[in-house]
Amino acid sequence: MKNSKSKNFIKILVTVVTLMFLMPLANAEDTWPVKGNFANGAKAWAENCTRCHNTRDPRELRDDQWITAVYHMRLRAGLTGQETRDIVTFMQMSN
Amino acid sequence: MKFNKMFRYLLYTLSLAVLFLPAISASAAETVAQSNKSLQQQIDELNRKIDEAKESSAKPVHKHESSDSLIHLAGYADVGYVNGESNDGSFGVGSFSPIFHYQYKDLVMLESELEFEINETGETEVAIEYLTVDIFLNDYVTLVMGKFLSPIGQFRQNLHPSWINKQPTAPVGFGHDQAAPVSEVGIQFRGGVPAGPVKINYAVYGGNGPALEENGGEIEAIETPGLNVDGDGKKVYGGRLGVYIPALRLDLGASGAAGRAAVWDPSVDPVTYERSRDYQAAGVDFGTKFFGIDLRGEYIKQTVGKQAASVAPEKAEWSAWYSQVAYVISPINTEIALRYGAYNTPERTTNRTQTAISVNYLFANNVIGKVGYENNEIPNELNPKQRVDNRMLVQLAYGF
Repeated sequence: MKNSKSKNFIKILVTVVTLMFLMPLANAEDTWPVKGNFANGAKAWAENCTRCHNTRDPRELRDDQWITAVYHMRLRAGLTGQETRDIVTFMQMSN
Repeated sequence: MKFNKMFRYLLYTLSLAVLFLPAISASAAETVAQSNKSLQQQIDELNRKIDEAKESSAKPVHKHESSDSLIHLAGYADVGYVNGESNDGSFGVGSFSPIFHYQYKDLVMLESELEFEINETGETEVAIEYLTVDIFLNDYVTLVMGKFLSPIGQFRQNLHPSWINKQPTAPVGFGHDQAAPVSEVGIQFRGGVPAGPVKINYAVYGGNGPALEENGGEIEAIETPGLNVDGDGKKVYGGRLGVYIPALRLDLGASGAAGRAAVWDPSVDPVTYERSRDYQAAGVDFGTKFFGIDLRGEYIKQTVGKQAASVAPEKAEWSAWYSQVAYVISPINTEIALRYGAYNTPERTTNRTQTAISVNYLFANNVIGKVGYENNEIPNELNPKQRVDNRMLVQLAYGF
């Protein structure tokens, strides 16, 4: 039992460390928040947001609130980082 | 004589007019000048106000400068009324589920959803639906660690919030401790990758896995509440692969998990553990929109293998599926949703088929009033139409 737990722990650790080294932190940019592309954001918003739910009015939230709301949806909808930034920009410029 | 008199009178009048005309003209000119001055002052005042308005519109009140750390509160809640065949109608609070987001730049986010519910005796129960720390490793990979919604299937992780769900209830078999895994505690990598005309989204995870609930020598349920301890010491690994085709507005997903699970009761102290047995979960799902019609469906199952040393030695399987079609009649902000599903368990009396219809009024896209009816039946060879607990439901759901 103890042996099995150790093996599992090692598997997870090796996986995490390997992936973290293979995939460098792309977010170490000095400028924050990073601006996206408005037009691409409009397209990504139209394509992705209605896959599960009704569209939300850009005026529901402030600019800073849209950042966390869309980053939350990045995980839920499987958005890429660039799509996330584009949609944030679109929502911020539309509110 | 008369003509001369008239002529003199006219001449006299004209002379007077000529004498006083300069004075009258001077007075009129002064009046006009004063009027012009007043108008100019009013124009200057208006210009000043316009300038002020322009300045204030450049900084509207809803704009907000961002800092490196952000805090955001979201969530959803629902209240309603249920009138079933087996009980009298009751008003009730469904749940209040605030979601907390704490984000530092685009590097890390902590997100947690709490679930407040009022039980039948009026007491408030609180649970952590999920709590994760998410590290955005790069544009395509996010590390998620903590308690997260199970990536197996689509309903539990994406569609269960009441303002998203088009029916007042979850599909039969997709509730807690039924066919669909609910939560997991562990580590997960997830993200999205563009692949030409399609988009791929994925999630892979390893976690503590479920506990098996035994009753009367049989496995009664697979508990997947996101256990904070691994009772059998054996992890469960799984994931979901999804493909989205934007041109067709079509979502396809396949998910699965495998590992070991054992009979044990997390609520009993001291906990006693059995030897573990095989555990598997699998699911497929789809969703699409065409001509305003929202069509989706999902199949999911969980299986546990035999374990001769167990108090419940036999294998068991739980499965459920549903299909739903919905259409919004835009001019009247009304949506009609129809769902059909089935739930199969090792115990036949708990099997169900369910037909549900709901008419929803969209007060706003995130504020939805639902009036629904559920027809539940026990599939039975002798009496194939045995109805159980059919009910009418009213729900007011708000996503914020």
